[in-house]
Amino acid sequence: MEFASVHAICLHFISSAIQRCRLSRELCRLSVILKCSPPSDHLVLRISISDTGVGSCLEEFRDLKFSREGIGAEKWDGVLSVRTTSICDNEVYHYQLNLKESASARRLTRLPSNPKNGVKFSGTEVFFSIFESVEVLLPEINAFFQKMLVLRIPNVAYEVVVEHEDASGSRCENLFLANEPYPPPFSASNLERLKSGLEDYVLKHGNNSNKKCGSCFPSLECVKAGSGIACCTEDHRNAGRMMEAIIVISEISETTSCCFRTCGAKSEVFYFKDFSPSAISPSSMKALTSIDWRSYGLTLASIVNQGGHALLEWEGLPPYAHIDIVLHCYHEHKVMIPSVGQKTQLDRNLIKRAVKLAFDDLKEKHAGVLLSAHALKICSYAPDLAKTMAGLILSSDDSGFQEECFSLFGLQFQGVGGEIVEDCIKEKIISIIEMNDRKSHQRSEEVAPFLFRDDCLQELELQEEEYEEGEDASSPLDI
Amino acid sequence: MEGKRSSSERSVLLRKIREFTRTIVEDLSNGRSPIVLIDRFRNYCTNPNAICYCSTDLLNGKETLTLRRESHVHRLDVLLRVLLIVQKLLQENRHGSKRDIYYMHPSVFSEQSVVDRAINDICILMQCSRHNLNVVSVGKGLVMGWIRFLENRRKFDCINRPNMAHPIPVHVEEVKDIVSVARYILVVEKESVFERLANDQFCNANRCIVITGRGYPDIPTRRFLRLLIDKLCLPTYCLVDCDPYGFDILTTYRFGSMQMAYDAKYLRCPEVCWLGAFPSDSEKYCLPQQCLLPLTAQDRKKIEAMLNRCYLQREVPKWRLELELMLQRGVKFEIEALSVHSLSFLSKEYIPSKIQELCSESEFTV
Repeated sequence: MEFASVHAICLHFISSAIQRCRLSRELCRLSVILKCSPPSDHLVLRISISDTGVGSCLEEFRDLKFSREGIGAEKWDGVLSVRTTSICDNEVYHYQLNLKESASARRLTRLPSNPKNGVKFSGTEVFFSIFESVEVLLPEINAFFQKMLVLRIPNVAYEVVVEHEDASGSRCENLFLANEPYPPPFSASNLERLKSGLEDYVLKHGNNSNKKCGSCFPSLECVKAGSGIACCTEDHRNAGRMMEAIIVISEISETTSCCFRTCGAKSEVFYFKDFSPSAISPSSMKALTSIDWRSYGLTLASIVNQGGHALLEWEGLPPYAHIDIVLHCYHEHKVMIPSVGQKTQLDRNLIKRAVKLAFDDLKEKHAGVLLSAHALKICSYAPDLAKTMAGLILSSDDSGFQEECFSLFGLQFQGVGGEIVEDCIKEKIISIIEMNDRKSHQRSEEVAPFLFRDDCLQELELQEEEYEEGEDASSPLDI
Repeated sequence: MEGKRSSSERSVLLRKIREFTRTIVEDLSNGRSPIVLIDRFRNYCTNPNAICYCSTDLLNGKETLTLRRESHVHRLDVLLRVLLIVQKLLQENRHGSKRDIYYMHPSVFSEQSVVDRAINDICILMQCSRHNLNVVSVGKGLVMGWIRFLENRRKFDCINRPNMAHPIPVHVEEVKDIVSVARYILVVEKESVFERLANDQFCNANRCIVITGRGYPDIPTRRFLRLLIDKLCLPTYCLVDCDPYGFDILTTYRFGSMQMAYDAKYLRCPEVCWLGAFPSDSEKYCLPQQCLLPLTAQDRKKIEAMLNRCYLQREVPKWRLELELMLQRGVKFEIEALSVHSLSFLSKEYIPSKIQELCSESEFTV
């Protein structure tokens, strides 16, 4: 595995630490400590990534390659110091890895261990020094953890500490706690956590704020979320591979647009792989491109891959509406060591299915949201249909019939105005159009029934009808 | 579907309208997508060799209107609007014309044919004829000749002046006390020919009734003709231009139109015989070349489509041969072209000789 930058390798070690914490199932702490040297010391940055998860078996370091083209010797000498211990070990092992060496004998050097003196604990610290300014690295790490909060992994707390080794000795800490203020229960599924995490992320303006923005989102109605999960079951090799998708549609109160997010109408698709933020693969980009957004009333204007992040630009989205999408691909039963290996076709299919299910879930839960362009057109007839239907009932000279219709609609016969009847009918018509729209999505998945869809038959009828009309078009009969 | 106009008939129709409305209300209140099934009728198919049931007036499948397709929803919107108007007309026992209905929501209906289709749909749904809905057309047909009748309390005494045109009554179901001494009924396609015959005092010289629908006949004209044939049992002849439209108008009198196929059995007049003009008449009556017009591409298309109508082969194969001849010759002409020899040629020679021919070769028309 090769890395294009020191940032990437740094985030890789953090991801590995997260996996060790997940494996432990105990409450864990993950600390990233950045020690900045005084300016006289050529901007040496000492990075310590430590976790209290299960110990490392060094496997995750085996395939790492130092690439001169990617990182460059002037940034890093390729040397890592790793201390690790498992709960059952009696000592803390200490290794030095030189990634520049390709021969395994010279690559790994075992250094003297430290005794644990009977204390039971586990954990790992990866330590290395690079020539880089903390101002360059820190925003990347912070952004990484802000995204990590979306996963809401319940047993890990993250901290990022920056220490300046100059005369001031200043120190700043940044804590990322997944569980405040209303944590989902420990029993919550990954999907539920992801959903609540994305909702929180949106309400906190991209986790840039510590609390939900009450002025932009005065009520919970402003944020509508849907979730979908697709699982690979047929392929034995990949059985258990999951793709979770969460879609959140938020509408910011128009009066307080001051804290509107910088990406505006565009949607950034967060892509998590095995519980870590990851760059989106070209095949996932293809999957996103091939989704039938129009059937959900959305028009995709463009899709770009900006530094590993997919940015979707919409056409005709209401000015204060925003769509956030998260994809998380992981293995249900295994805790994976981060790798760059991609199962492209599989991921593509899983993404499409999961996104579709998330959209369907959102539509199911929130009436009137994401109606297809087709359904919206049909909905535009609802007021007129309702008015005429109400007219047929109210103008009837048969009061028994009127009473019966009122009771079918659950309305009081006496003292109810025409507008109430009209509104009631309109609501029912719209909810049926929405139901039909949902069903048509579900139906489009099934290939066989499509052959006998009534639409096809009706199309034939229509053609025949048009032919007949065409033939008689010049005969204005019966005028 | 035909029936006497009475308050009980209106109340039956109003009940049917309420039942239709209630079905939709029930669907909506149960969260079901309403489905409106409209029977489909046709008076011909386009496979002349097929063994079909077009002549039996049986329904030919159903159309399904749902809330799933925009075209269906628009059609439902129009249908319900027209139904609401019809309900009011029936409740108040007033009549309205199709044009009146069109002008109630012109922007939604966009054109008259949209309203016409909705009225037809309602007739099929309610299993009735258009006049039962209290929807009438502005009368278009004319009648003259040896006939007298009452419409409601209004007297139409054509016998008094047999060559004067009278409008065909709109409420045909109100026509009664028909008295006639005519020997036949002559249906002419065009008003100009009707006027030519009136000017020539045709009905003085020939004891007949002359009717024109002024082009494609409207429902009152066809129902009036049907009523006269039923009541008077007179031979009926039809004179049309020798062109595809003339032929189509002829078939409309005899077989009914596709749009009104659901009501064809009350509108068609199978007794109608084709008097002329035939493609062969151009040679027989020595029409000069300048009177013959070449068929246009649209004419040819229309003839080719009409040739496929099953009833021609089945019921009037000779008509079909004449139509084929028209296509082969590639020319058409108007009835007025027969006046090239003299203005009164049509009334003095052509029509009497054609009727004479038909009487002696009565099998020709069948």
